[in-house]
Amino acid sequence: MSDIAIFFLHGLAYAGLLFLVSSGLTLVFGMMSVLNFAHASFYMLGAYFAYWLLQITGNFWLALLISPLMLLVIGALVERFLLRKVHVLGHVHELLLTFGLAYIIDEAVKLIWGTNPHAIIISGFLAHTVNIMGVTYPVYRLFVFGVSMALGLFMWLILFKTRIGIIVRAAVEDSPMVGSLGINVPLVFMGVFSVGAALSGLAGVTAGPLLSVDPGMAGAILVDAFVVIVVGGMGSLGGAVLASFIIGELQSFGVLLFPDFSLALIYMLMAVVLVIRPEGLFGEKQ
Amino acid sequence: MPILEAKGIHKDFSGLEVLTGVDFQLAAGERFAIIGPNGAGKTTLFNILSGAFSPTRGNVLFKGEDISRKPPHLRNRLGMSRSFQITNVFKEISVFDNVLAGVRSREGLRCHYLRRPFKNRGLLERTDEILMQVGLENERDTPAHELAYGQQRALEMGITLSTAPDLILLDEPTAGMSRQETEDAVQMIRRVTESKACIIIEHDMNVVFSLADRISVLHYGVILACGLPEEIRNDQRVKDAYLGQDNQ
Amino acid sequence: MARSHNPVSRFGLWAVFVILAVLPLILRGYQLRLVTEVIIFSLYAVSYNLLLGYAGLLSFGHAMFFGTGAFAVAILLEHFAGLPLLLAVTLATAFTTATGFVVGCLLLRVKGTPFALLTLAFNALFYAIAVKWSSLTGGDDGLIIDPPQLDLWLLTLDPNKGPDFYYLSLAILGPVILFCWYFTYTAMGRTVLLMRENEDRMRFLGYNTLLARLSLFTLTAGLAGLAGSIYSLFFAFVSIDAISIETTTTVLLMTFIGGTGHFAGPILGAGVFIYLQNFLSELTENWPLIMGVLFILMVLFTPGGLVGIIKGAAQWTASRRKTPDLRKGAKNRHAHSGS
Repeated sequence: MSDIAIFFLHGLAYAGLLFLVSSGLTLVFGMMSVLNFAHASFYMLGAYFAYWLLQITGNFWLALLISPLMLLVIGALVERFLLRKVHVLGHVHELLLTFGLAYIIDEAVKLIWGTNPHAIIISGFLAHTVNIMGVTYPVYRLFVFGVSMALGLFMWLILFKTRIGIIVRAAVEDSPMVGSLGINVPLVFMGVFSVGAALSGLAGVTAGPLLSVDPGMAGAILVDAFVVIVVGGMGSLGGAVLASFIIGELQSFGVLLFPDFSLALIYMLMAVVLVIRPEGLFGEKQ
Repeated sequence: MPILEAKGIHKDFSGLEVLTGVDFQLAAGERFAIIGPNGAGKTTLFNILSGAFSPTRGNVLFKGEDISRKPPHLRNRLGMSRSFQITNVFKEISVFDNVLAGVRSREGLRCHYLRRPFKNRGLLERTDEILMQVGLENERDTPAHELAYGQQRALEMGITLSTAPDLILLDEPTAGMSRQETEDAVQMIRRVTESKACIIIEHDMNVVFSLADRISVLHYGVILACGLPEEIRNDQRVKDAYLGQDNQ
Repeated sequence: MARSHNPVSRFGLWAVFVILAVLPLILRGYQLRLVTEVIIFSLYAVSYNLLLGYAGLLSFGHAMFFGTGAFAVAILLEHFAGLPLLLAVTLATAFTTATGFVVGCLLLRVKGTPFALLTLAFNALFYAIAVKWSSLTGGDDGLIIDPPQLDLWLLTLDPNKGPDFYYLSLAILGPVILFCWYFTYTAMGRTVLLMRENEDRMRFLGYNTLLARLSLFTLTAGLAGLAGSIYSLFFAFVSIDAISIETTTTVLLMTFIGGTGHFAGPILGAGVFIYLQNFLSELTENWPLIMGVLFILMVLFTPGGLVGIIKGAAQWTASRRKTPDLRKGAKNRHAHSGS
């Protein structure tokens, strides 16, 4: 019984991480119709920045704050000086650009920090365990889940309950119209893209203590995040929440029940969704 | 046997009923126009006939065969071809290749891995014939996007004719044209649809009355009146519903 | 329209053929191996460009077929002693083609960006399978192959000898690449191009576009599989790298550097990539970083690739030599329109 509880909690923590990664990805895709292949590389950068900041300051909370801000700046620069330039050439070139960027970041990380894995050690109450549902469980994993819940709620509030959200969604629907109403549409897109990058940075910092910080971490999360947005429906925040939960738990219980085929389960889920509902659970028909 | 028959066509888009029981028959070689005020459901009906989507209820019979749920490419192979209101050509490709695409489709030369269309003299001649018919014989090597608007409309017509259809569906063939262009287009349509069945959806009343053998008036999703142009012109209900308020 | 009638290109083709035939007399050892590698990757890149340049389908998973072909031939030769070389290659190609069909049935339910994403996910799946199924693929250690001799009526080719393998790959892949070139003029080749331009209209002209796309995808999978099978015979070894995302990136870089707008682009790209890689990897370990930066720069500034630059330069000199003919220039910009 307590085994099941532990695996359920593990699943929740991983679901939380998946949502942190896929929320930024799906935000950018939903708003700009750009699938950022470099998203997982931004996530990896977030983790490495946190590792570096921890070495300097020794304060995890500071890393949690500053690393996403660094990614925010990087995201803004990438949008302004790279993505915007190829926008006129069409989607294929945008995808190629982000794909090339991912390639460069992955190589640059190896060059700067080497190929050995690093660990982010946390201290304070986050490093403790807590008794929950009759089992002793690390606080940090619950913290990951909590952060993702808070973020999801926050994004929902911003997008659907505030003026900023209305402007952003309108800019997506009809950018010439919104532009003629005096809204700086390119700035809106830059904002969306850099917020997406910052979210990936947040995900990277959060993942740091959970997983190891190494050059393979981008590739490891990228496919899972892709599966999340395919299953949930590309560009749908609600879909990302549900799909993160399903895949997190599937991954966790898959390891428990079929240790050799846990990966296959996820792909089977994706294949089933593709056959039955190619646009994803919450997606719009093409 | 009528070439096309619509039986009780209903269409609703998530609760919004656009068509509520449309019936008509079309004889071979007849030019048939569907008119109606904006929002009457003309475009929806056109899309159901051409296969862009299926009716919620009701059937479309083409040459006696139920095609209500057949995809567009199979309808085309049965001998039906449609034009588009917004010019829908292959922009980066030469005028000749635009038309050749349909000509070779008619001959079944669609996805062959070995045969080359440009080696087939018959196809090339047929393509040149169609270019001649729509008056584009001097533009055969021009990329479609470099054509003037009127020429693009002519190309649109050429592509529609390229599969040698028995039934031609024309979606506002003179939309956006000047008076002179419209007159030329009407002449051309009359010429190329000679002895073929044809359904025209059109706003321009002059075009409709000078082309159609028979006219149906669509109003709020049903056919209000159907008859010869003279009958429609004198029909009081039609005047009330359409001509009275909006005689473009 | 019919480029094959152009005497210049016909002469050029014969010239290339003669040069390729006598190359082993000039180049030895390592240099010849590089040329062989270029030939193998040329087919891989040409097959990729049929997807990207002609059909407009951006795939981030072409290595799944390259790798499947590479592993299939290795596994066949390991488990069936005495299997003739050509039969092994044929079977591996057939198997990859069938794989491409199945994957295509799933992937082609979506288009555009979701398609690009799914190809990457499936590539990752293929990679994971290759790693996990180590009893068959050798896992991280890979498989060592002992390619059998090829006995033809008059001559015997030994795949372990450089010149022999060069001629072998040229004899197999050369005609296939030529077929791909021919293919771009066939009904199907033109259909693919028209579908990229305006798929909706094609449906209303009687084309089953779904089936056509699946058919093309399957073809390119088979071609990549053939290239992959020759690749693993060439190195007498296959590792999981062959089926990794990196190998997809390789073909993407080759194709894009060469240029997607012309049939010869990917071949040029394969050559430039391999020689550049060879040159850079001697200078620095971080050659992938340089390749990546080069790629980004090309995406930003020369979306037409090297072929685009060459075409532009040719147009520029032509326009200097005589009065500019705008119509002609317009036609050249649309190389695919087959004017």
